[in-house]
Amino acid sequence: MAGILSSALHAAAHPKQRSEVTMVAFDCLDQKTALILFAVAEAVLGEGFIVKAPKFIETVDDFLNYQRPAQRDQFLLALLIAETTFGLTIGGTFRSFSHLSIEERRKILEKLRSSSQELRRNIYVAFVNVSASTYYASDLTWPDLGYAGVSVDHPEILNQPPPIPWRPKDPRPIEP
Amino acid sequence: MTGTVVEGRRVGEDRTLTPDFCIIGSGAAGGVCALKLAEAGFDVLVLEEGPNIPKEPGRAPGQERKMLNEREVEMYKLLYQEGATRLTKNGGVKVLQGRCLGGGTAVNWSACLPPRLETLDEWQKRGLPFTRQNLEPYLREVVNYLPIVRNDKYNTSAEKFRLGCARHDISAENLPNNTHNCRECGSCGVGCPYDRKMSGFVKWLHDAVQLGATIYTDTKVDRLTGSDDRISAVEAHFIDGKTRPTKRKLVVKPTRGVVMAAGAIGTPAILLRSKLDLDNRVGRFTHIHPVTITIGKYPEKTFPAYGVPDNMWTQKFASGPTGYLLETGSFFPVLTASATLQHGDELHRVMRDYYSTGAISYAHHTTGFDDKEKYGTVELDDNGDPELNYRIQKANVKPMQESLVMMARIHLAAGATSVYVMRNPPLEIKPGDAFDEIRKINFTEPQRATIFTVHVMGGCQMHKEDKRRCVNNDFTFRGKKNLWVADGSIFPTALGANPQVTIYSLALWAAREICERHQKPFQFNHQQGGPLPWPGY
Repeated sequence: MAGILSSALHAAAHPKQRSEVTMVAFDCLDQKTALILFAVAEAVLGEGFIVKAPKFIETVDDFLNYQRPAQRDQFLLALLIAETTFGLTIGGTFRSFSHLSIEERRKILEKLRSSSQELRRNIYVAFVNVSASTYYASDLTWPDLGYAGVSVDHPEILNQPPPIPWRPKDPRPIEP
Repeated sequence: MTGTVVEGRRVGEDRTLTPDFCIIGSGAAGGVCALKLAEAGFDVLVLEEGPNIPKEPGRAPGQERKMLNEREVEMYKLLYQEGATRLTKNGGVKVLQGRCLGGGTAVNWSACLPPRLETLDEWQKRGLPFTRQNLEPYLREVVNYLPIVRNDKYNTSAEKFRLGCARHDISAENLPNNTHNCRECGSCGVGCPYDRKMSGFVKWLHDAVQLGATIYTDTKVDRLTGSDDRISAVEAHFIDGKTRPTKRKLVVKPTRGVVMAAGAIGTPAILLRSKLDLDNRVGRFTHIHPVTITIGKYPEKTFPAYGVPDNMWTQKFASGPTGYLLETGSFFPVLTASATLQHGDELHRVMRDYYSTGAISYAHHTTGFDDKEKYGTVELDDNGDPELNYRIQKANVKPMQESLVMMARIHLAAGATSVYVMRNPPLEIKPGDAFDEIRKINFTEPQRATIFTVHVMGGCQMHKEDKRRCVNNDFTFRGKKNLWVADGSIFPTALGANPQVTIYSLALWAAREICERHQKPFQFNHQQGGPLPWPGY
């Protein structure tokens, strides 16, 4: 049943083309779902997010391999549902999700977040989790957070003279 | 004779193996059983669904480290079940479980607490044989072997927690852990790259292989087969680096038996796929410790990723059937982003504000003590994969609200300028604010707040009542003479404490039962040493 629904929605989806989505070989996404994912991420993260997360689509596509297949299918179905039906929830006239402005897409996210329906809240959380997690996995976003990075790449983080900053009141030396 | 680790993804043909024992799962229980059965002289085979964690090639002696790069997304997909995106069936709880060589021991935050005494008392009422007294040698063996120590190098989250607790006259204590000469990278949760955490692949499994045990990684068990009262074969298939089947199969025909150690979701799932559901007993009464989280924002930079993650706690609120433990940790950008429940400019503001100057505390909530509640059920989806059907119980709602209030108070007392509560929509508490909004959070409705769990227990219970018992008191699976269950799935309730040490100890007990059954020696090797590292225990 879910497969039939997914196929029907996939046929009905005509997401907005984006020059930023250049990937051609996918494991789990395809061109349509990649474009919808981009539109979702843009709503969650803002215009130009791809500059600091240039491998966003590739990262999500790879990560989906590790999900339980049924859960992965639900995520892909959620993207298709968003594209083909969520545009009905605002404005009165139908435009598909990826063709809406960022502000309009965010209004939809707000509605999903506060919905009384479990399914809609789950879609909100899935969209926000996937977008935010993938974005902040990129090294280019870390300076905004003051995160110095991982110690295996930057051993100097752990080799600072004591007191080390995360143990400000403890002057004992770091053990080798 | 030294054994070996075989990476299933590289196996190019179907294989059949005939060890004495086949242990399914390489986590806390699997590692213990592998070592003790190998010590007893058995030919031991361990099957692990997740990948091997080899050493990085080309590094000088003394500089070696595991191929663990601390990068969250890469490590989550490599080391965790479902890439750390496992959810309960209704999406309401994120379930973080290890899926790699060493299982949960590879990715936990190294906290080592004993079983809660009132939980042991409750278990005795339910017919389990474990007491504080008779567990002593097992606990002592675990403490001295790993070893478990009191590491008092507190990171900023721990320092803030200690300060805030002191100002509320709450006793906060050092939480013993199994790190040794810790480098303080803070990356316990994505696998220690320096082998300073004494996880399964550093200790139990490593030593088991030295004694001849063989481990197959990338090996997913499909089912057990057999007839009447015995298991005759374990059917499995190999998976590749992206968890897809390679089309190569493994059949294990153990001459002595099978030990289930795949955890409280994995073990019931394999039994269900094997049609060993014991008239619908298997998979039921699965328990978690739901986790509530707060991040305090402080005036200074806190470097929240670094330092020993989990070494401060208070047990002031731990007692009772719905008590909770407050603990501290370290946190990283992806983990934080995944919990914020925010989008747009607010997402980035929250990340900037609460990451660079944040300190984290969280609460593990006890569940499972009310016999009238159903708690969770492990079910199989249409593909035969497990999913946990779990809803937060009404009895836990008020304690979950109160744990958030208490953590907010502790942060504010420690000097936080605001506290982030992962409600949907998010809630920021400032000094002088009331806590009314926290007390309105309805945790029984999914996605009204971020809820994690890192502890799943039960689902294949040891219990005196016929309608609930799946495992006998000698750890054998009901009705099968050569099938043992040694992991946390035997717990009849949640534990009320981080379960690593308890699983180790009960797995030692299970290994002793197996050795005695087969008239082989079982011995404790690490009974020396002083008092246990938990004052008053």
